[in-house]
Amino acid sequence: MSAAAILPGSAEAQAHAHEGKFHVFVQLAMILAVITGLELLIIYMPIAHWLIITILLGLSAIKFLCVIFVFMHLRWDKVFCTVLFFIGLILAGGTVGALLLIHTADASKPVGSAYDQA
Amino acid sequence: MTAHAGHIDHHHDATTTTGIPNKKLFMWAFLASDCMFFGCLIASHLIYRLHPPAGAPDPRDIFSIELTSASTFVLLMSSLLMALAVNAIQKGNVRTTRRMLLGTIVFGLIFLMGQVYEFNHFVHEKGLTLSNSVFGSTFYTLTGTHGTHVAIGVLWLVMMYIRTFKPLDESRGQGWVLKGFLHFLAFAGLVVLGMYTLLQLVHAFETGEGLGAFFSHNFIGVGGSLALLAVLIGFARSGPSAVDFGEANAIDVESMGLYWHFVDIVWIVIFPVVYLLEYVVLS
Repeated sequence: MSAAAILPGSAEAQAHAHEGKFHVFVQLAMILAVITGLELLIIYMPIAHWLIITILLGLSAIKFLCVIFVFMHLRWDKVFCTVLFFIGLILAGGTVGALLLIHTADASKPVGSAYDQA
Repeated sequence: MTAHAGHIDHHHDATTTTGIPNKKLFMWAFLASDCMFFGCLIASHLIYRLHPPAGAPDPRDIFSIELTSASTFVLLMSSLLMALAVNAIQKGNVRTTRRMLLGTIVFGLIFLMGQVYEFNHFVHEKGLTLSNSVFGSTFYTLTGTHGTHVAIGVLWLVMMYIRTFKPLDESRGQGWVLKGFLHFLAFAGLVVLGMYTLLQLVHAFETGEGLGAFFSHNFIGVGGSLALLAVLIGFARSGPSAVDFGEANAIDVESMGLYWHFVDIVWIVIFPVVYLLEYVVLS
């Protein structure tokens, strides 16, 4: 049966969607494994540290987004689920960023005998 | 969940005001709050790593990047099996769902075993404890909290696996719970004993003892593994033919899957930030 003849919401359409998801999941898992291998390789590359850190964080972000949108079905769910999760994610990211920024200031650096010797 | 000609729409629910199944909405709200929890733990670790006190241990002398990479791979593959379990139950395929749940449990247990080995190695051979350095405190708190999440996930998976055996015929009583639990115990015993026996086999080959010495020293391990395998097959074959578990329970499996995938994405952040960056920033 051609794809055009399958009615949306019908049993056949759902069966096709599930079959499609199986292949998507397996392929994504392979891609994630390859990215993890790349992350390992990149730390031994003789390139600038800032570039390695940027690539590492970029690859990590790609893996993160792939898992939440495909494995966690966000791309098939209502947008509200994405909005809800990203509220938490942005608040968490903002907190991490703010804390790191605060602790780079001279006045926030830890003091004491152990730190004076460091 | 909305039913169309006997099939369930697993992504929308017309009976709720949001159009989203309530269990799914609850899980997403919980995961959003858990993001902030892990965000604070990661920030604490990074802050103290960026300002190490005098005499702080060098993580590169402590970490085993090979073991951590293997654990990362195992957790990623467990996420795949979890996604396939959700996919299977959405099609009403209970047998495949059980297999995928068991696979996810095995991979989760392997990850936990790796973490137990790692912590044990760090404490007893590298001297890194929870209280003898700031690095130890933040590292164990962060990775330990993640490990606790994995352990809770494994427990949840086990309960869901047992739930899949609930018979449709309610007159059979609650015996299925005990039977399901014994089924799982046989499975867990086989995983632990089987892995231990396999390690002994590798050790026997490494030391050149040969198969004869291996069997004489590991008679209980080999015999126990085979006995547990037989018990497992027996349990699987004697399950009820009609179970009260199917496509209508897909939302329960999916909610559990969301939690499991979240554990995976937290590790996706921890792996580069806590482990890999040590080899870059301080090199």
